[in-house]
Amino acid sequence: MTRNVDVSGLVDTAGGLLDRAIFTDDRIYRQELRRVFAPSWLFLAHTDQFHKPGDFFTTYMGEDPVIVTMDKHRRIRAYLNSCRHRGARVCRADFGATRNFTCTYHGWSYDLEGKLVSIPNRDGYPESFKAGDWGLVEVPHVDSYHGLVFGTWNPQPVSLRESLGDMAWYMDAMLDHDPEGTAVVGGVHKWVLEGNWKLAAEQFATDWYHVNMSHASALMLLSPIGKGPKDEIVHRTGRQYVDPNGHGAGFPVHPKNRFDARTVHQWMDYDALRARLGDARVEGPLTNGHATVFPNFSYLPVNGSIRIWHPKGPDRMEVWAWTIVDKSMPPEVREAQRLYNLRTFGPSGIFEQDDGENWSEVQAVSNGFITNGVPLNYQMGMGSEREDGRFPGTTSELYSDAAGRSFYARWRELMNTPAWHEGGDR
Amino acid sequence: MSTGIRVASLEDIPEGEGIAVAKDVTGTADDIALLRDYDGSVWALDDTCTHETASLADGWVEGGYVECPLHSSKFCLKSGEVQGLPATKSTCPHRVEIRDGEVYLFPNEAP
Repeated sequence: MTRNVDVSGLVDTAGGLLDRAIFTDDRIYRQELRRVFAPSWLFLAHTDQFHKPGDFFTTYMGEDPVIVTMDKHRRIRAYLNSCRHRGARVCRADFGATRNFTCTYHGWSYDLEGKLVSIPNRDGYPESFKAGDWGLVEVPHVDSYHGLVFGTWNPQPVSLRESLGDMAWYMDAMLDHDPEGTAVVGGVHKWVLEGNWKLAAEQFATDWYHVNMSHASALMLLSPIGKGPKDEIVHRTGRQYVDPNGHGAGFPVHPKNRFDARTVHQWMDYDALRARLGDARVEGPLTNGHATVFPNFSYLPVNGSIRIWHPKGPDRMEVWAWTIVDKSMPPEVREAQRLYNLRTFGPSGIFEQDDGENWSEVQAVSNGFITNGVPLNYQMGMGSEREDGRFPGTTSELYSDAAGRSFYARWRELMNTPAWHEGGDR
Repeated sequence: MSTGIRVASLEDIPEGEGIAVAKDVTGTADDIALLRDYDGSVWALDDTCTHETASLADGWVEGGYVECPLHSSKFCLKSGEVQGLPATKSTCPHRVEIRDGEVYLFPNEAP
């Protein structure tokens, strides 16, 4: 008996059509956890969250709870957050510092290397019981790219760097301004939305199109008092990066692209950035834009927002969002970036609320029987994909569904490919 | 009268934490944990938790108590008396003196 769904008929990237079942079907959702999330590199945390052995942060890989921590050799490692005895989480805190992870159910305790180091009533177990066999399940591969920590359950993955491909060039436009790197300010904002995780991930990969309509009120608010919205803001031209591994990024291109927050803008040395990162990046993805690293990590260069869309069933997601800053930024510039992020793309930010409303709207109606059978249109920019000689890899127009089609092509490929854990069973 | 054993400088022990002094230094049956509270005071207890094998020097020190890092048993820093499960037996306290920023231990003397 096969439990897998062939999704070929649900994603027509050549025709630019999507079946809404991919947002609503529970079997498809559980297959995603097995075949999309389990084998992929997933974002875990920022390196700045770990300064000394025992610092930890708890998060999820798909729906699997994991602990990310720094061990005694200062290596960042990740473990399944589930006791080997009866399965409760061995760490219930969001973040902190510890010596051991002790299950609050019966007290099995694990050290920072995941080893089982204390078993109450140890003498009650048979001689055949070996504590060494019952350590925490470790995430086999954890790696970082410019401060972003990723992990994968895939025992033989392509390297993180290789899986990012040309996307790394676009990520560097945000992560590599500063030779010192980036730091996290404040904690992690978390909020729950009705909506399939792909609605958010896809939008950040491919969708500048919604900006003028969905965010009209926010754009008006940001316009100088007494002046209407500028034509050059509404009619922006730019490029959209289309990655074969499903990543995507879109950005306006203009010689005078600037950070929106005035204090941040004034602090930035654009000439130095041109020397460091090149004109194409400074005039393109450095400032304004959107991006998704497949499957569920996204970011916004304009305000240092990095976020993960945690799947919580086919119709629900949790958004976990960090604000990052350049390490060299003085306190007042960090604070300006933090506040700008909070006001625009924090949980109650003037832009973020518009996006969440759209995703929840799309999800809420998709369970209708007739509605669910009416396909969605992803045809914008078909045939526009090309290498333009300025931006690496394949790019399309700023207003395009090209990166979305590529996102879903990658999703379809993974969904139809047995993962390592299936042992050849389709 | 003994002048004690100089075992550490005060600055070696961060507030809220502890360090263990080996039993071949202290001459006691167990290692001894030096534990520094947030008021700056330093206390000494037998290092091994009376519940399971865990070092109290790795524990959390606050408000006159040390909490075991494994199962959260609590002991009074001054008396060694057990304050909460899963441990049920008290641990042994030792006297500590601080002179000129140096920590002197008096094994098996009551604080």
